[in-house]
Amino acid sequence: MPRVRVIGCGNPDAGDDAVGLLATDRVRDRVPEDVEVVTAPTALHVLDLLEGAASVILVDATRTAGEERPAGTLVRVEAGPDGLPALRSSLSSHGVGLAEAIGLAAALGDGPRVVFLGVEVGDVRMGAGLSPVVEGALPGLVDAIVDEVAAEEARP
Amino acid sequence: MTHRSVEVPVIARVEGEGALHITVEDDEIVDLRLQIYEPPRFFESFMRGRPYADVPDIVPRICGICPVAYQMSAIHGLERLFEVEVPERTRELRRLLYCAEWIESHMLHVHLLAAPDFLGFDSAIEMAQRGFRAEVERGLRIKRVGNDLLAMIGGREIHPVSPVVGGFSKAPRARDLRALAPRFEDAIAEVLEVADWVGTLEHPAFPRDAELVSMVHPDEYPMNVGDLASTAGRRWTADRYEEVTRELHVEHSNALHSVFTDTGEPYFVGPLARINLNEATLTPAARDAARRAGLAVLPEPDPFASMAARVAETALALEDGLRLIAGYEPPEPARVPVRPRAGRATWTTEAPRGTLYHRYDVADDGTILDAKIVPPTSQNLRHMERDLRGFLPAALDRPDDELTRLCEMVVRNYDPCISCATHFLRVDVERR
Repeated sequence: MPRVRVIGCGNPDAGDDAVGLLATDRVRDRVPEDVEVVTAPTALHVLDLLEGAASVILVDATRTAGEERPAGTLVRVEAGPDGLPALRSSLSSHGVGLAEAIGLAAALGDGPRVVFLGVEVGDVRMGAGLSPVVEGALPGLVDAIVDEVAAEEARP
Repeated sequence: MTHRSVEVPVIARVEGEGALHITVEDDEIVDLRLQIYEPPRFFESFMRGRPYADVPDIVPRICGICPVAYQMSAIHGLERLFEVEVPERTRELRRLLYCAEWIESHMLHVHLLAAPDFLGFDSAIEMAQRGFRAEVERGLRIKRVGNDLLAMIGGREIHPVSPVVGGFSKAPRARDLRALAPRFEDAIAEVLEVADWVGTLEHPAFPRDAELVSMVHPDEYPMNVGDLASTAGRRWTADRYEEVTRELHVEHSNALHSVFTDTGEPYFVGPLARINLNEATLTPAARDAARRAGLAVLPEPDPFASMAARVAETALALEDGLRLIAGYEPPEPARVPVRPRAGRATWTTEAPRGTLYHRYDVADDGTILDAKIVPPTSQNLRHMERDLRGFLPAALDRPDDELTRLCEMVVRNYDPCISCATHFLRVDVERR
């Protein structure tokens, strides 16, 4: 069982939504061999991928509703015992989002430690490429993942 | 005039969003608009000019939840146009693949989406925390049987066993598949327990007339092969799909709404439609599960019976899957040669959420000239709006949060596709 698993989430065809996948791809060569690096097309797949690792670093595109953060902003959230409260939306209904997947794994008692790293997105239209501002944020996100992996590996 | 926005998530996955706007004036619904995001339009244009052989790799990207359905409608349609005959064993392996997708999708819907509604919880998390952990775990355990089968034949490895026009890129080994058989047996026993549990859940009743549409087949519960039929007695084939039904552009949504061409009336597809039109080909465990889940008497058009239909279909997919695993021998050849020719390819298959139509116009060298994809969620959209209009008047006196929950339950009966249609529903109720 890998101690640390990096999961990149996103849609490769939807503009900035690909950022988590691209960052994960770039991280492969920069982390130790025993770190598992995988991608998930939907949050549902994340639910399955939360099993069997001590720590998970989840990388995804984010979008704030309400208080706007500018596109390209890096976001870091640590999950608590009940999941990711900051990501949770109690009325999220027709899908199982990342927050629900993590919260559910926690509620079932076998959830790993989870750190969420994200980038606030701009253009997520189907067929759009990565917007310049999010592309500019990509190296920072990659570094953040590498640092996070090192921190997790160093944990007793 | 009061206006309240009920849903503001801090961060949400950015794909697939849905919103429902309701305007109420003097206790009457004066406006109701369901807005759903839908990506197939992008993929239709993306495929133009590409070789036919790329299609099975492109279409699964439309939907992260039901990639098999998209591959199967495309592959069958192209094979028929190219007059490719695949071995019976290939047909069986494809059905097995489809069984896996039904198991995964239905168990997810029942346990993580529908059951929390019916029990009055906000989410499966709360449900697991407050006394239903064993039920959630059981549901996920059954779902995992589908996942693991898909991983083996759908291919998520480096050299995947992947479906192609003409068959499979390579055939899985019989002993690998047979190793899954004991887990299918356990899952059949467990899904009957799920049926008993679902049978005890209280839900609203919503008897109303509706025309239900599904594929039908004389010898097997429909997945990959069959004609189309409706509960009003219509019968047609996929090559007449665009003649019998049509899609309307609706101003408030970038998704299209499907209606019958002759009457202009909406219809609905999905597990409830399938079970109503295919009672004769239910397997014994499926029949048992339907009865125990509260779907003893058919026809039953009440949309709130959809959850029971999903449980019955899970039993069917497990039982049929076990039979296919037990009898499996690798198809030979795994992949038959294909020679493209010009023309129009059309096909439907039964995705977990309902009938999925594909059409490709192909040049003589196999280049895709035009593509059209009609997913089940877009076929159901207009019927969802109709159900909301029919169901809501009796609930308008409820507070906004309860009204929101009821709206979600009505829409959820259709299990609108998570990534290809709706991620969350934001409900705005404007009271005047």
